[in-house]
This record gives sequence, C-alpha cells and structure tokens, in this order.
Amino acid sequence: MHEAPVINLGGFHLDLSVLIMLVVTCAIVFVVAKLATRKLSVENPGKLQNFMEWAVEFVRNMISSTMDWKKGKPFLSLAMTMIMFIFVANMLGLPLGIVTEYHDAEKAKIFGQEITTVTSVLKEQHEEHPGEEAHAEVAWWKSPTADLSVTMGLALLVFVLSHGLGLFKNTKSYLKHYVQPYPFFLPINIIEQLSKLLTHGVRLFANIFAGEVLIGTIMTLAKASIFGAIFSIPLLMVWDGFSIFVGAIQSFVFVILMMVYIGQSIESHDEEHEH
Amino acid sequence: MNFVWENTVIALIAIGILYFLLNKYAFGPLFSVMEKRRELVQQQLSEAAQTREQAAAYVEEQKSALQEARKEAYEIIEQSKQTSSKQATHLLQQAKDEATRMKDEAVRDIQSEKNKAVEQLRSEVGAVSVKIASKLIEKEVGEEKVQGELVDQYLKEVGGRS
Repeated sequence: MHEAPVINLGGFHLDLSVLIMLVVTCAIVFVVAKLATRKLSVENPGKLQNFMEWAVEFVRNMISSTMDWKKGKPFLSLAMTMIMFIFVANMLGLPLGIVTEYHDAEKAKIFGQEITTVTSVLKEQHEEHPGEEAHAEVAWWKSPTADLSVTMGLALLVFVLSHGLGLFKNTKSYLKHYVQPYPFFLPINIIEQLSKLLTHGVRLFANIFAGEVLIGTIMTLAKASIFGAIFSIPLLMVWDGFSIFVGAIQSFVFVILMMVYIGQSIESHDEEHEH
Repeated sequence: MNFVWENTVIALIAIGILYFLLNKYAFGPLFSVMEKRRELVQQQLSEAAQTREQAAAYVEEQKSALQEARKEAYEIIEQSKQTSSKQATHLLQQAKDEATRMKDEAVRDIQSEKNKAVEQLRSEVGAVSVKIASKLIEKEVGEEKVQGELVDQYLKEVGGRS
C-alpha cells in the first residue's frame, strides 16, 4: 500500500503528489486544447482542430441528450473541461508510477518538511514489530482521480453547481420536487440528493483506484522473480488496455451524470409532465 | 486511504483555473469558429437552394418560351398554307375565267365571221345568180316585175338550202 506524500504547512496538509499530478493534468489538458485551437480555421481545419471539434460535438450531444440544448449551452465549456481533465487524469496513472521507499523516519523529508504520512506509518510499524526494519512506500506519480478527496471535490463542484442553479434559476419547481410525490418524502429526497453526491465522486475514484492498485500488484509480481516479470508483461498489457477503457468510460459517465444532475435541477417539472 | 480535505480544495482550485484558461484561450475561439462554420454552411445551403429555385424558374421560363415559339411557328405555317391554297384557288379561278372569256370571244368571232361570210356569199350568189338569170331570162322575161319575183323565189330556195 502506497502512502501519499503529505506535508504539514502550518496546519494545511498539502498532498504533494496530488498537487503535482493536478498541475501536470491541467498543463497537459491546456497544452492539448491550445495546440488544437492554435490555427483556427473556418474552412480548412487542421487534424487537431477536427479532433477537438469532434470532441465538442460529442459533448454537445451528451448535453442535448440530458436537457434542452438552449438551457445546456452554457455548460458546454464546463463539460468539455471536465471530460478532458478527467480523461487525462485517468490516463496519467497508467504508463508509469514513481514510488520512493523510506525506512527511516528521519530521512522522510522533502524541502525540509516532514512527510507526515510516512513518519506515522513508520512509527506504527515500529510499535507493532519492534526491532524489525520499518518500511513505507510513497507514490509520487498516480492518477489524481485515484484520490477520493479529489474526485469528491469534482463531485462537490457539480453538487453545488446543480443545486445552486436549481435554487436560484428554477426556485419553484426545484423546491417542489423535494416534496413529491408526498411531503413525507422530503427526507428520502434529501438522502437521494446526498447519495448522488457520494456515488458521483466515489464511482470515479473507486474505478481508477482499483485499476492502479491492480497495476501496483502486478508490479510487485514483476519485481518478485524473473518468471514473475515475464508473466507480468501480458497481464499488464491486458490490464492497461482495460484501464484505458475504464478511464474513458468513467470520464464519460462522470460528465453525463453531471449534465443529468444539472438538467434535473434546472428543468421545470411542470414541463416534463406535459411531454 | 485518508480523506484529505485540503486535496479537495486544491482540486477545486485546479479545475477552476483550468476552466477559466480553457474557456478564455481554447474553447471560446473554438466555439466561435464552429459557430461561424455553421453559419457558413447554413448560408451556402440557402444560397444553393436559391440557385436551384432560380434555375427551375429559368427552365420553366425557357419551356414556356419554347412552347410559344412552337405555337407561333405552327401559326405561321398554318397561315402560309391558308394563303397559298387561297392563292392557288384564286389563280385557278382566274385562269378558268380567262379561258372562258377567250372561248366566248372565239365563239363570237367565229359566229360573226360566219355571218359575214354568209352575208357576203349571199350577196355574191345573188349578184351571180342575177347575172346568170338575167343572161338566161333576157330572152324569156321582158317585164321587170316578173323578173324580180322570180329572182327572189330562186334566192329563197338557195338560202333555205344553205
């Protein structure tokens, strides 16, 4: 089990791996988007521009499938940002991992700051198995979406956005749907909304995290012996392929759920009954 | 796996910055270009439709013009046919009239010539017969009155025979 490199900055627990990976993800997404839109042309689009336009059309179809396109148009940019960010984030953990090992709590430092997770793990192991050498591994390179607190952040953003829009732009029918079909359904409806938030974040995290855990396990097998290394190559190929698939699907699922939640909040239910 | 709320904050900040940057530098221009292309396509489609309509109208116009020309040509032919047949009849009639007239004239000429000849003959025959008769009768008939009666009777007989 890999630890996260967390340092304590005056009470603020900064997870360096998450910070690094978020910066890397954002940089890749921005560079790709910027390259694709560098030489914009109406009549003669380049390959990258074509690809980007295909992606925009794809996201646009996702939005129109969940809500009225007139209402959904402002979210196109956000949905594009989200799907690119999550897709790139999901992919980042696949090709490589950077792991450092620590045995001594005194050496577990970066920029002169103590890596608190490592020291606490080492201390725990010392207490459990006194006399044995303690051992902790820190993952520096991983998918940022393999961190629950990051995916919950994204889910929280969607939660706040959808409910805020519902509350301010569509107040009457938004509030009404909490007491439907009967007023005593209110607690159930509230739980439903909260469970949406939870599942939205956890689904993405669990899928990506599970993929990375299995990759880590296969790597352990590869390190074990020469036969393990040979055997691990096809295994890793298969699992990497599957992880790419899962990563793509999860980014799609996350964004389409985002649009569904926003759509549910801003679409008035009176209209729905008429349809 | 610990839930580190600081990560949530960092993630939200990161996605916020990314959204802002992408919106401003990448998606904004991209969407406007796509919108422009959509407008261009729309415009070209409507232009094509317009051109097609114009072409159809033009073809229709040509068709009607052709129809008119055909009708006109037919009329001209018909008219000329009529004129020529009329003219032919007229010419024929004229020729007939001319022929009749000439025939009548000829008949009249013949008649008058014949009458003239008969008259001449009659007078000549009269004179000749008088001479003959006078020569014959000089000896037999002395009286002039009897002579004239005889001549007339004789002449009547000759004229009735002729």
